[in-house]
Amino acid sequence: MTSCGALRSSFFSLLNSHDTSTWLSSSTTTLPSKRQKKFSGSIVAVQQESKPGEKSDIVLNNTNGRITKNLNFSGEKPSTPILDTINYPIHMKNLSLEELEILTDELREELVYTVSKTGGHLSSSLGVAELTVALHHVFNSPEDKIIWDVGHQAYPHKILTGRRSKMGTIRQTFGLAGFPKREESAHDAFGAGHSSTSISAGLGMAVGRDLLGKSNHVISVIGDGAMTAGQAYEALNNAGFLDSNLIVVLNDNKQVSLPTATVDGPAPPVGALSKALSRLQTSSQFRQLRDSTNEITKQSGSPAHELAVKVDSSVSGMAGSPGSCLFEELGIYYIGPVDGHSLVDLVYIFKKIKEMPAAGPVMIHIITEKGKGYPPAEAAADKMHGVVKFDPKTGKQMKSKPETLSYTEYFAKSLVAEAEQDDKIVAIHAAMGGGTGLNIFQKRFPNRTFDVGIAEQHAVTFAAGLATEGLKPFCAIYSSFLQRGYDQVVHDVDLQKLPVRFMMDRAGLVGADGPTHCGAFDTTYMACLPNMVVMAPSDEVELMHMIATAAAIDDRPSCLRYPRGNGIGAPLPPNNKGTPLEVGKGRIIKEGSRVAILGFGTIVQNCLGASDILQEQHGLSITVADARFCKPLDGDLIRKLAQEHEVLITIEEGSIGGFSSHVSHFLCLNGLLDGNLKWRAMVLPDRYIDHGAQSDQIDEAGLSPRHIAATVLSLIGEGKDSLQLLNL
Amino acid sequence: MSCRNYGVAQKLPRTENGLRLYTRPDNPPRFVSFRVRPGPVIQSSLNETVSLISEQHPINFYELLGIPETGSLLEMKQAYKKLARKYHPDVSPPGRVEEYTQAFIRVQEAYETLSDPRSREMYDRNIAKGLHLAFRRSEFDEFSTFVTVSLTRLHVYWQEIEEKNEWESQWQSQLSELKRRSMYKDSNDNMSWAARIRRERNES
Repeated sequence: MTSCGALRSSFFSLLNSHDTSTWLSSSTTTLPSKRQKKFSGSIVAVQQESKPGEKSDIVLNNTNGRITKNLNFSGEKPSTPILDTINYPIHMKNLSLEELEILTDELREELVYTVSKTGGHLSSSLGVAELTVALHHVFNSPEDKIIWDVGHQAYPHKILTGRRSKMGTIRQTFGLAGFPKREESAHDAFGAGHSSTSISAGLGMAVGRDLLGKSNHVISVIGDGAMTAGQAYEALNNAGFLDSNLIVVLNDNKQVSLPTATVDGPAPPVGALSKALSRLQTSSQFRQLRDSTNEITKQSGSPAHELAVKVDSSVSGMAGSPGSCLFEELGIYYIGPVDGHSLVDLVYIFKKIKEMPAAGPVMIHIITEKGKGYPPAEAAADKMHGVVKFDPKTGKQMKSKPETLSYTEYFAKSLVAEAEQDDKIVAIHAAMGGGTGLNIFQKRFPNRTFDVGIAEQHAVTFAAGLATEGLKPFCAIYSSFLQRGYDQVVHDVDLQKLPVRFMMDRAGLVGADGPTHCGAFDTTYMACLPNMVVMAPSDEVELMHMIATAAAIDDRPSCLRYPRGNGIGAPLPPNNKGTPLEVGKGRIIKEGSRVAILGFGTIVQNCLGASDILQEQHGLSITVADARFCKPLDGDLIRKLAQEHEVLITIEEGSIGGFSSHVSHFLCLNGLLDGNLKWRAMVLPDRYIDHGAQSDQIDEAGLSPRHIAATVLSLIGEGKDSLQLLNL
Repeated sequence: MSCRNYGVAQKLPRTENGLRLYTRPDNPPRFVSFRVRPGPVIQSSLNETVSLISEQHPINFYELLGIPETGSLLEMKQAYKKLARKYHPDVSPPGRVEEYTQAFIRVQEAYETLSDPRSREMYDRNIAKGLHLAFRRSEFDEFSTFVTVSLTRLHVYWQEIEEKNEWESQWQSQLSELKRRSMYKDSNDNMSWAARIRRERNES
């Protein structure tokens, strides 16, 4: 078809011309030959697709404009000839650039294959495949220290540093940790899990190296989300001052929150920093756009053209020079933006910097895409950040459908129900909309949800500020992340007695994430504060009532801890709206004799399990009580239990110094320990429990139903039977 | 020959390069496509184009959808659904099918560009930098919308290539500057902690 031919040729010339095209800028930068080749490849492909006699459509889609190679995501073990030769980074030194590119592809295939079988963090690792390969090729881990911020993108790093064979055990009991861990390998320079620590640690290693007279390199990899935390700037401030040789790689993929999406779809990242970082990328685009505008307006007529020129000249003043930005002012030399998926560029830049003897602190700003190379991840709203087992061909996750929802979801629904009746309720979270369930709240009340970025300290004081104005802030931060904002809790909230409500999700043992995310200490650090009300629900219904209670407590701060897991299936109140409980009153769930177990939190379910075991196998009937409040304690309940039983066991899924300690103080101050009472406390042991399945961790901690039953038996004098129970 | 009878397509003008730009009216379109059609091209005054939308002479997607420039994704979705239902060829009044289809296509393009945060950002920048102002309303209404859509789409695509060339020249120059700086970094007037340590090391 001549017409189609005309289209083809004219379009082809359009696309490939550098001089007179209307669309392309008239910049005379020559394309690196590699890119040009790829480019004509796509045009050829399009041409071949259209059969003669048909209309030739050139379809340009937003997402499919780029060229993707055909990687094997079929679910079978991918063939990885080059990756098979690499056991340690030193084996990568002699590879050529082409082989490194093939290695990156194989690495992606291997990642998708492994994570599809075990679950874990997928897309962040896919985004840094090229970066990892480039770093290990140029630098010599473990002499050169590579520090990964947060660490969930370190899967390729683990594969390349001798742990490929164990990747099938990642995040499981006795397997590899899901984050870098110093005990695991010499190549993991620093343990991570909480964000924004890599530059600080890197600076420490750099200064140590300088003092000791060594000459290795230190590279910290940090993401744009982690850059929203203050600690990163504290580190940069110090690095700029000390001027020690340090390489910081800023991995910018425009993903600040987890996920950077609402319930309805992708959302732009929160915070002004993201906009600032994008301006660094686009300051040169203006020139290109200006040129193309000029071309077009020349065609359309002179008045329009004049107008465009006027607009252009007024705006050109606004585009500042790239590079002279925040980082430069701090004394960090800024290089970028760099295409984070171009191995050529990355290797070149790293090699150049490696040669310089005194570069000082350097920041390389690379632009990547989360989930790059695996289309289902690129397309998903949450980019498949954290996944369970999935089908590699389609990306569909095999999520089991439990009968009850998670505590997080119950929390979100209950908070929505409260907020519908009280318009002073606002919710704050620190870049964890998905994890805390506040994305659900945001869908219903978009103006009353605040995502502050990864800034727990700011979130707490921000909530305190809101409380002074009479609002009712609910601060939903994971138990272990709230540690970062502890001084703000003490000084800004508790000391001033401001009614901020802390909703501490992931309290207790958390399973596959391991000790970095474990919420063992929250009762300890919250209950020692003079003005804080501390509660913990034993099931999802209690959770809803406690949220209502927290909403009602308006004269002092309060907090509420609940674990990772699903509800037990208790009947919910209508519309998910709880009723406020009486503060400082617990309840007795089951009456018995001789032995009383007083539990705090969802561990009460394990106590009920233990009482069933004892009933069925030993005919013992024991009392199980739910304390509900750690502060203020239900003194009457404790007195009653102490006076009517021989044995009192207090139990919580927290460290020493928490609920059990408070009960012990109460008992001794009230003279209840002066009689015949045997009191024992069951708490988490004084060590960090490794990652694994939650049930395994509870067993390891000694808080499972059979451990509780064994403790009871050992106390009422039947030692042999308790050992038998332990072996069940 | 099948490249005929594009009643709607007749109204669109041609560009300098001889490309005739049309959209596909037959089926509800899902994407922008460039198509060639032989035969004469009828220049229209463009005042005959879809009266409903052209009455308001919208000059940008936001006006087309009827939402403010700061509109959220939800508002956009609602506006799009409402307009799509109104202008879908299947429910259009007979005799005005072509106009309605045109309108539908434009609503579709507007939604697709604005719903993806990235292309929306590009589009916003296009507006801010006066790309729209380059076209005189009365004569280039259709063309401007069309070209802006194509430009935006192409920009997002071409961005990949062009941007990276810009970036490369930029970081090349940054690297050479750094190299130059690192040569005199440890000179005696640099009093930072690390420079002092490095000097001591070099001396010993």
